[in-house]
Amino acid sequence: MSSREPATGRPPTTDAPSRGWSWAEAALPAALVALGVFTIIEAGKIVVPGSSNTVGPQAFPYAVGFLLVGTGAAVLVGISRGIHGRAEEGEDVDITLGTDWITVAKLTGSFFALVVLVDRIGWLLASALFFAGAAWSLGARPWWRPIAIGLVLGLVTQVVFTYWLSVYLPPGPFEGVPFLDG
Amino acid sequence: MGDFGPLLDGFATALQPTYLLYALIGVTLGTAVGVLPGIGPAMTVALLLPLTYTLEPTAAFIMFAGIYYGGMYGGSTTSILLNTPGESASIITALDGNAMAKAGRGAAALATAAIGSFVAGTIGTILLTVLAPSIADLAVQLGPADYVALMVVAFLTVSAMLGSSPSRGLASLGIGLFLGLIGTDTLTGQQRFTFGAPALADGIEVVVVAVGVFAVGEALYVASRMRHGAIPLVPITGRWMTRDDLRRSWKPWFRGTAVGFPVGTIPAGGADVATFLSYSVERRLSRRKHEFGKGAIEGVAGPEAANNAAAAGVLVPLLTLGLPTSATAAIIIAAFQSYGIRPGPLLFQNEAPLVWALIASLYVGNVLLLVLNLPLVGIWVKLLQIPRPYLYAGILTFAALGSYSIGASTTDLVMLFALGLIGWAMRVFGFPIAPAVIGLILGPIAEEQLRRTLAISQGDPVALVDSPFAIAAYASIIVLMTLGLVIKRRARTEAELTAQAATPAREPSVGSG
Repeated sequence: MSSREPATGRPPTTDAPSRGWSWAEAALPAALVALGVFTIIEAGKIVVPGSSNTVGPQAFPYAVGFLLVGTGAAVLVGISRGIHGRAEEGEDVDITLGTDWITVAKLTGSFFALVVLVDRIGWLLASALFFAGAAWSLGARPWWRPIAIGLVLGLVTQVVFTYWLSVYLPPGPFEGVPFLDG
Repeated sequence: MGDFGPLLDGFATALQPTYLLYALIGVTLGTAVGVLPGIGPAMTVALLLPLTYTLEPTAAFIMFAGIYYGGMYGGSTTSILLNTPGESASIITALDGNAMAKAGRGAAALATAAIGSFVAGTIGTILLTVLAPSIADLAVQLGPADYVALMVVAFLTVSAMLGSSPSRGLASLGIGLFLGLIGTDTLTGQQRFTFGAPALADGIEVVVVAVGVFAVGEALYVASRMRHGAIPLVPITGRWMTRDDLRRSWKPWFRGTAVGFPVGTIPAGGADVATFLSYSVERRLSRRKHEFGKGAIEGVAGPEAANNAAAAGVLVPLLTLGLPTSATAAIIIAAFQSYGIRPGPLLFQNEAPLVWALIASLYVGNVLLLVLNLPLVGIWVKLLQIPRPYLYAGILTFAALGSYSIGASTTDLVMLFALGLIGWAMRVFGFPIAPAVIGLILGPIAEEQLRRTLAISQGDPVALVDSPFAIAAYASIIVLMTLGLVIKRRARTEAELTAQAATPAREPSVGSG
């Protein structure tokens, strides 16, 4: 709260043509064009059974493919002319900041730890670790607090889902324990 | 209209203790979710979709209805008390609401928002009750070609209205349509875009896509550029509502309702446009234009009413035509589908008890929400103070839970994350999310209706424009789009001007870290 600046959180109204070509911004529409081309090629390979005079399973995919190519190209042309997308605003987002890749990498790591661990050590423990990892990556300190909250959250969700809703979640080491193993 | 028997039966169902409990859970969750930044009603309903596997339909829909209305109430609390630029639907409320809070009239702002939401929600629900059955009666006569036309209208208007440019909205729609293609073609049994993977033969789960692009995408986006430092919360001060506040509020409540409901029923960008429109109406009619942007109570009362009336309006095409005009509505359609129910004109005939219980629960929910929001607002404010690392870690954990609980499959988790990355990129580069979700859910239905039309006509495309209704629908696209874009542009410029005029009263604590 130290500095008092005017509301920089709000971007200019008109699509500012000041910035030039941005490779990062072009990547998404370029990928859409590629996806569109892929869709069109793959649509041609869909087997069309039997009757021929009505519209088969290929037509709609073709249309979607052309839509993707067309819109992707239109966005690319727009970017080359200096019409840029406006980053989405949100209460917790400071759109004046650049991307914090380290935090994203830590979150990705936590996520893949969950993918690897959940079938081995069960939902309760794996989700607790995931929550703790994610909260820590986002800046929660000291380290034990997210772990404690994660364990409570894992316990509650495990009980609610397996016991109350009878949806299966792997119990891990708690196999056969009442409330934790459906 | 005229026959209130089914509605009374609906009340008899909705007022049973069990269902009242579900309604209470729904509105509580909805308010909590509306208050929490970063979570919207679309995401919440998506996260709770797995519940439809165990819960009976009436209970589930009563709960979803509560979440849907609750989310609209909760959002206003956030925009009034939190001193940061928020999501677009609440920007307008934030303008004057936040200024009021800072001037020590926070309580009055909250009260006018809550009562306005109640008035608009109730009138909106009454209009829904009266209009929906007659529209459903008319809609029964619509043929497949008419549905194709309606869906084209929804696709184009929703895509063109949202986001920073029409091409980005349409691209987002394309992403959703592509994801909807994956799986087995319903008419011929051919696998499409499954890459030979058995996991994809039934298509990607709607829950995984919706939660991926909404929840994981949002969490990654926030994580990558999080606002650090203390949460800039304005304390609630002042009196709830003076006689003067009431005198200045009641007309905007009704005008907001009148503006919001029709906007909600047409696919024109949803609550967003309704709030802009209401704000500009109030400003124009006011004798104290100079107060707008600096804490005019009309600028809170009108848009908040419009917001809730639009939410009720969205339910009209949803229940009578099966046509979602917002992302939340699209996900509610997915919930219907998981029970094997298709929303549309036959819903009022085939599932009458369910629909009327749902509508009755909207009335009940509105009353519950008024009680929950006014006296208990202090509790919701506590939610706003949850440290952000825990909040977003929690969102990610529930996102993972929602996807993993479908079938205890780690493939779903990997897919969830991949879709989250797409949702993140879309947010960074100004691609709206809603068209993708609508494309995903409406795409397969549109394809089926299109092919049915052309099968009946034996491939003759003229059949697509052969009914007066279809022609009218296509013609309305042009009208809707020009009208909508003009309104949006004008309202936005006006709002920005007001915001600029009011900047001295509104200094977000940026750059403190």
